[in-house]
Amino acid sequence: MENDNFIIQMKGISKVYPNGIAANRNVDFFVKEGEIHALMGENGAGKSTLMKILFGLEQPTEGEIIINGEEVSLTSPSDAISRGIGMVHQHFMLIPSLTVAENIVLGMAPIKKGILIDYKKAVQITEEVSQKYNLNVNPNAKVMDIPVGMKQKVEILKALVRGANILILDEPTAVLTTQETSELFKELIILKQLGYTIIFISHKLNEIKQITDRLTIMRGGKSMGVYETASTSEQEISRLMVGRDVILNVEKDKSQPTETVLKVRNLEYTNKWNKKMLDFLSFSVRQGEILGIAGVEGNGQRELVEMLFNLNTPDSGTITVNGVNIINLPQDKIRDNRVSLIPEDRMTYGIADAASIEENVISDRYTEKHFNNGPLFDMKMIHKESDKLIKNYAILCKSRKQQVKMLSGGNIQKVVVARELSSDPILIIADQPTRGIDVGSTEFIRNKLVHLSRAGAAVLLVSADLNEVMELSDSLIVLYGGKVVAYFDDTSALDDTVMGEYMLGLKHQSPEEIERVCHE
Amino acid sequence: MSNRRMLVFNILRGAAAIFLALGVGFIFIVLSSDEPLNALRYLLIGPVFRIRDGVLSFNTTSFQTILAAMIPTIFTGLAVCVMFSASQFNLAGEGAVMLGGFVGALCAIYLNIPGWIHPVVCVLIGAAVSGLIMLIPALLKVKLGASELVTSLMLNYIIMFIVLHFLNYYFADRSKGATQTFSFQPTAQIPALIEGSSKLSWGFIVALIFVVIVALFMYRTKWGYAIRMIGINQPFSKYSGMKVGATIILSQVIGGILSGMGGSIEVLGRYNTYLWRELPGYGWTGITIAILAKNNPIFIPFAALFIAYLDKGCQLMSTYSDVPSEMIDIIQAAIFLFFAAEQFLAKYRQKIVVKNSRLEMENNNLSQEGRNA
Repeated sequence: MENDNFIIQMKGISKVYPNGIAANRNVDFFVKEGEIHALMGENGAGKSTLMKILFGLEQPTEGEIIINGEEVSLTSPSDAISRGIGMVHQHFMLIPSLTVAENIVLGMAPIKKGILIDYKKAVQITEEVSQKYNLNVNPNAKVMDIPVGMKQKVEILKALVRGANILILDEPTAVLTTQETSELFKELIILKQLGYTIIFISHKLNEIKQITDRLTIMRGGKSMGVYETASTSEQEISRLMVGRDVILNVEKDKSQPTETVLKVRNLEYTNKWNKKMLDFLSFSVRQGEILGIAGVEGNGQRELVEMLFNLNTPDSGTITVNGVNIINLPQDKIRDNRVSLIPEDRMTYGIADAASIEENVISDRYTEKHFNNGPLFDMKMIHKESDKLIKNYAILCKSRKQQVKMLSGGNIQKVVVARELSSDPILIIADQPTRGIDVGSTEFIRNKLVHLSRAGAAVLLVSADLNEVMELSDSLIVLYGGKVVAYFDDTSALDDTVMGEYMLGLKHQSPEEIERVCHE
Repeated sequence: MSNRRMLVFNILRGAAAIFLALGVGFIFIVLSSDEPLNALRYLLIGPVFRIRDGVLSFNTTSFQTILAAMIPTIFTGLAVCVMFSASQFNLAGEGAVMLGGFVGALCAIYLNIPGWIHPVVCVLIGAAVSGLIMLIPALLKVKLGASELVTSLMLNYIIMFIVLHFLNYYFADRSKGATQTFSFQPTAQIPALIEGSSKLSWGFIVALIFVVIVALFMYRTKWGYAIRMIGINQPFSKYSGMKVGATIILSQVIGGILSGMGGSIEVLGRYNTYLWRELPGYGWTGITIAILAKNNPIFIPFAALFIAYLDKGCQLMSTYSDVPSEMIDIIQAAIFLFFAAEQFLAKYRQKIVVKNSRLEMENNNLSQEGRNA
C-alpha cells in the first residue's frame, strides 16, 4: 500500500488490558482522506478498543499511529481533538439541562465583558455551523427536550466546531429510527463531499453497503482485512464477520420434544427511544428440546428475555408457561412456576458480589420450609445444600463462605448456574450462558443444559456466539429487527454462511415456514 | 484463608484509623494546651482510673457511667446497622429516639400498671410509635422513589417540633421552672442495675440482649438475609424473587423500633420526668457507631464503648485541663473521616486481592493439569 493519501495509519496495534484480555492483536487500520470507512465486527471483536486508542482514551501496548503523515502519540482526547479527530459516542456526552447552543460551545464559550458567556454569540455560531453542514438543530432548545436524532446532530456539530476533519461515529444508527437513519446518511454524504473523513462503526450490513467506500472487518481482536465495499458481497462480509473458529463438541442424542411449555404470542415492544424492539414475535419451546435464538445483538433478544422474567413489560402480546400467564407476575411466582433464568448480565442480576457463595446459591429458595426452623434459618440444612451445589457444579473455591467476587469469571457463572439449574426447572432461559468464561466451565455448563433438556426441561438458549447456538440447540430461530426471520427444526445440517445471511437480514423465510415454530 | 486475611486486614485498618485519629487529636491538644501530657492522661486513662497522689486506682463509678452512656447508643447503632445493611440511608433515628422517649414517658405518667410490667409496656409503646413514624420515609421511598436520606433528615425536625408542641401545650408541669412533664409513676421506672450515682440501669442488659437478637435476625433469619442481599444488590434480589419493596419498608420500621426503644429506655432509666427539649444526639452517634462496627451488630457494643469512653475522656480533659471540650468533635470527625474513606489503605488491600487471585489461578491450573493427567 502506498502511503500518499492515507490520513490515518494505525500499524501493528496491540492492546492488552491489565486484566490480561488482549482486545487488539497486531491490527492494521488505514483510512483514506475523504472516504467513509466502515469498521465492522461483532460485539467484543475489538472495534471499540481500536477507536478508543485512536481517540486517545486508551494507550496501545504496541504499535504506531500516523496521522497526516506524522507519527503521533495520543494520550488524551484533547490530543486527538487537536489532531482533528472527533468522536460521536453511542451514548451521548451532552448536558441535558443546557441548550443546544450551550452544549456546542461548551468549554470554548464566547465571552463578553470579561466574565459573562455571550449567549447570543453562541447561538450565532451554532446557526452558522448548522447551516454550513446542513445539520438542522434548534439552538435554543434544551437538550433534554430534543429527539435522539437531533442529539446526534448536536454531537456531530460539537466535533466539527472543535475543528475535527475526521469523525468517528460509534454505532450511530443503534438508537435511531429508520427515518432518522436515512436523514443521517444524507448528512454524512454531504460531509463527505465537503472533504471530511468518516469512520463508521457498525455491524449492520445494509447500512454499510449504502454509504461506505471501504471497510475493515475485525474478529476476535484481529483485522480480517480491508475491502472495497462495492466489490465485496454481503455474503462474503457476513462470513468474515461471524465465521466459526473453534468447534467445541457437546455430546447429545436426538431430542424428543413433547408438551409445549413456553408460549410467546404476538409480543410487541417499543422502547423509550421509540424504537420497535419486538415486532409481533411468536414462538414456542417444548419439553425435551433446546431452542436456540441466534441473531446479532440488539435485535430484541435482551428485551425478550427481560419480558420472560417480568423485568420489563411488553406493549401487547402474551407469554404463558404451562398455561399460566407470566406477564406482570412477581419473580417469586414466576419461579414457583418452575422457570429459571441464567441472566446475560451476571454481575447485575446473577449474583450479590459481596455476599458468600452460600448466600448466593440460596437466594431463590431461602424461604422454603426445610431451610427454616421457626423464625430462624436451619443452618445445617443450608450448609448441606450449598456444599452439595459446590460439589455438583464443581465450583472451585476455598469454602462456601468465600465472597463470590473473589472467584474467577467461570466460577462466578457456575454459582449462578448451580442455583438456576438445581431448582428443578421446567423452563430454563439461558442468556449468553458461557460468555467470557474459560473453556472448562463452558463445556461443563453446556453439558448440564443438554442433560437437563434430555431429562424433560424446556431450554431457551439465547447466545450471540454462533458456535454455541448451532452446536447446542436442537432447533433454532433467528431474530432480526425484533422478528423471527427463520426457523430450523434441525440444526445438524446448518451452514454458518447461511446463518450469517439470516442474522444480518439478507434473507428471510416465508411466514408459513416461520409459523412452524409455534407448533400449533 | 483469604477471608481470614481480609478480616485481619479490616481489624488492622480499624485500629490504624483510630490511632491516626488520636494522633490528629494529639496534635490539637499540643497546640491548645500548656500541659499536653496531663491533658492526654485525662483523655486516655482518666475515664476508668482515678489518680490521687500519684497512685492509680480503678474508678468503678466512672466505669459504670460509661456503660450507662452506651445504653441509648447501642440501640441507635443497631438501628442504623439494620437500615444501612439494606442500603437505606435513613437518618431519622435521631427523631425516633426523641419520639420514643416522649411516648414512653407519657405512658409512664398516665398509665396505671403494676410493677415491672409498666416499664415494659411503656418501652414497647414508645418503640411501636417510632417504628410507625418510619413508615413515612419508607413508603415515600418505595411508592414514590423519594430519597429516604432527605425525607428522614427533614422528618427529625418535624418530630422534634411536634414533641415540643405537645410538651409545651398539653403535658407540661406548670409548677416547675423548666419545661418538663409531671413525674413518672414509680412503677414505670427502669430499676438500677447497680445502686449509686452512675445511672446504670437494667436497660444495659436489655441493650446487650438486643445486640444478640439483632445479630441473629440479620444473619440467621430469612428477613435479615433479604435485607442484606437487597443492600448488596437490589436487581439481583428482585430477580431472585425477594419482595424488595416490603423488605425496604421492614428495614426502616425496625430501625425506628430500635431507636424508639433506645429513647424510651434511656428516659425511663435515667430520669423521672421527661425533659428533652431538643434532639438528644444519640441518633447521630448511632451512625458513627454503625460505621465503626462495619454494620455488624456484634461489633456495636465495642464501638459504643469506644465512643462512650472517648466522650468521657474528653469531658474530663475539658474539666481538669485547659483543653476545650470541642476536641471530641474534632477527634470523632477524624475517625469518621478515616473510616468512611473507602480508599483508606486501598493500595494494601489491592495487594491482598491480587495475591489471592494469583494463588487461586495457580490452584486452578494445578487442578486442571491434574484432571488432564
